[in-house]
Amino acid sequence: MDAIVTKNITKSYGKHQVLKGINLNIKRGEIFTLLGENGAGKSTLISILTTLSRPDSGNAFVLGKSIKSAADNIRENISVNSQFVTLDNEFTGYQNMKLVAQLLDIKDVDKRIKEVSQRLNLSSFINRKIQTYSGGMKRRLDIGVSILGNTNILFLDEPTTGVDPKNRLEIWKLIRELRNEGKTVFLTTQYLDEADKLSDMIAFIRNGKISLQGTPEQLKSQTNNLHRITVSTKDLDLAEKVLSENKIEFKKVSDTFEIQDSILQTALKQLINANIVILEINPVKQSLEDVFLNATKGEQQNENN
Amino acid sequence: MKTIKQLSVLTSRVIKQNLTDTDTIITTFIMPIAMLLFFVYIIGGNIAINGKTGSSGSYLAYSLPGFILMAMAMGSAFAALRINNDKNKGFMTRLLSLPIKRWAILTSYILASVIFMLISAVVIFLLTMLLGYRPTTTGANFGLFILVIVLFALMITLISLPVSLTAKNYNSSNSISYLLIFMLFLSSAFVPIAGMADQIRGFATYQPMTPITETIKALLNGSFSFNNLNTTLAIVWIVGLIIIFGILSLRRYKQIFVNN
Repeated sequence: MDAIVTKNITKSYGKHQVLKGINLNIKRGEIFTLLGENGAGKSTLISILTTLSRPDSGNAFVLGKSIKSAADNIRENISVNSQFVTLDNEFTGYQNMKLVAQLLDIKDVDKRIKEVSQRLNLSSFINRKIQTYSGGMKRRLDIGVSILGNTNILFLDEPTTGVDPKNRLEIWKLIRELRNEGKTVFLTTQYLDEADKLSDMIAFIRNGKISLQGTPEQLKSQTNNLHRITVSTKDLDLAEKVLSENKIEFKKVSDTFEIQDSILQTALKQLINANIVILEINPVKQSLEDVFLNATKGEQQNENN
Repeated sequence: MKTIKQLSVLTSRVIKQNLTDTDTIITTFIMPIAMLLFFVYIIGGNIAINGKTGSSGSYLAYSLPGFILMAMAMGSAFAALRINNDKNKGFMTRLLSLPIKRWAILTSYILASVIFMLISAVVIFLLTMLLGYRPTTTGANFGLFILVIVLFALMITLISLPVSLTAKNYNSSNSISYLLIFMLFLSSAFVPIAGMADQIRGFATYQPMTPITETIKALLNGSFSFNNLNTTLAIVWIVGLIIIFGILSLRRYKQIFVNN
């Protein structure tokens, strides 16, 4: 059974449709990252999956339980770390943890708080009032509070937004550890490098729809539609002339020409006919950023048409 | 059993916040005490009660219900602030994401508010005892007095809730509490309504604070009767407002946090 399954989820706020039919299957024990720009619908989807709000239509199942009919049961098995810190500012870090631990009916509260504090390096400031914390400290404590319950599924909504590099790396380390312990992590982020480094599976959300989905490697190869042709230095000018005369679109990058796969055969034929010496033909390795930009560019073109 | 424990943890949290916050202590305890002392020892002797210029002692007995209700109304401002603060600063999201019954979260705020107001009522009552006041009533009437105070606390908590749930910021969340305090000054809580201007007297006679104040006075001085217009009006106002604002509060809470 998958950890999370969503079926055609839609959600509107007033006249603005935020989610336009989301279908996802998230396996147990993986880090699933939902990647998208601000306002793409990431937090809305998380709030629906965590039973904080309801979909207009469609359904989702968390560990096989419907968010519509078994919300109480789902909340027993998940924990949420919201985009904005959810701490009680008038209490200390310890008091915040104790409060949630008591609400979760954790047996040995102090022991559990100690474990989590050590794991997230919170011990040095846990007895201070939240008002005195930096943004990174608050975020780490907030994540600490979220993992107190030791639940099977953890939702992390942009956990590293506004966090300094040191805290960011610590949060990444924790996310990997949680996955290695068999937990499912549903992560949202705006950072492509974060998604690339952490994720087992990535989905791009844009304008309320999933536009691309796959492992980081699949995504990079799926849209890997460029090849780089290297010609001998003496033929550089001639090659450029031949490609231009035959109206073949290319991008010159130092001594090479980047050409779309769809016109690669034609380009090669023209270069060979012109007796140009081709030294190498290599696929261009794309980054996740290229994939994202290609996807958004393609959609924008479709929208304009 | 688990829900009762959660309810207790959440209620204790809000009460603890109220009792450890300097601003809350000053507004809910120090201010009403200072006003009570000022009214009783500076103004009270000059206020005619039942046609006779009284003394500090007689004014203390007259105004005690008013000061109890005022301290409670001031306390309701902080119940409103707490729930609004939790909503706007994210802590409510944390609570809603935990395996806690939705009704228990709302109930904890209401319970904490009622208990906190009762603490402030007890403080005012004990102070008046220190100043020489003694109730002259039966045990049964005193029991009814406690019941009215509890219901009043519930009533003003529920009246404050829809606004505090809706308000976009901390400052506007407690506006209802100031209205409640103002209503007390337009009632028989601190001065007899007989001396008020005609247009105001009509309003003052029937608005909720006058019959509630008069009922409390009667319960404390032994003149209470169920066959009294003020008693009937007090019951109608308290029960009516609890039902109306209870429904409104629940509806608003569900709109914002459950069916959103």
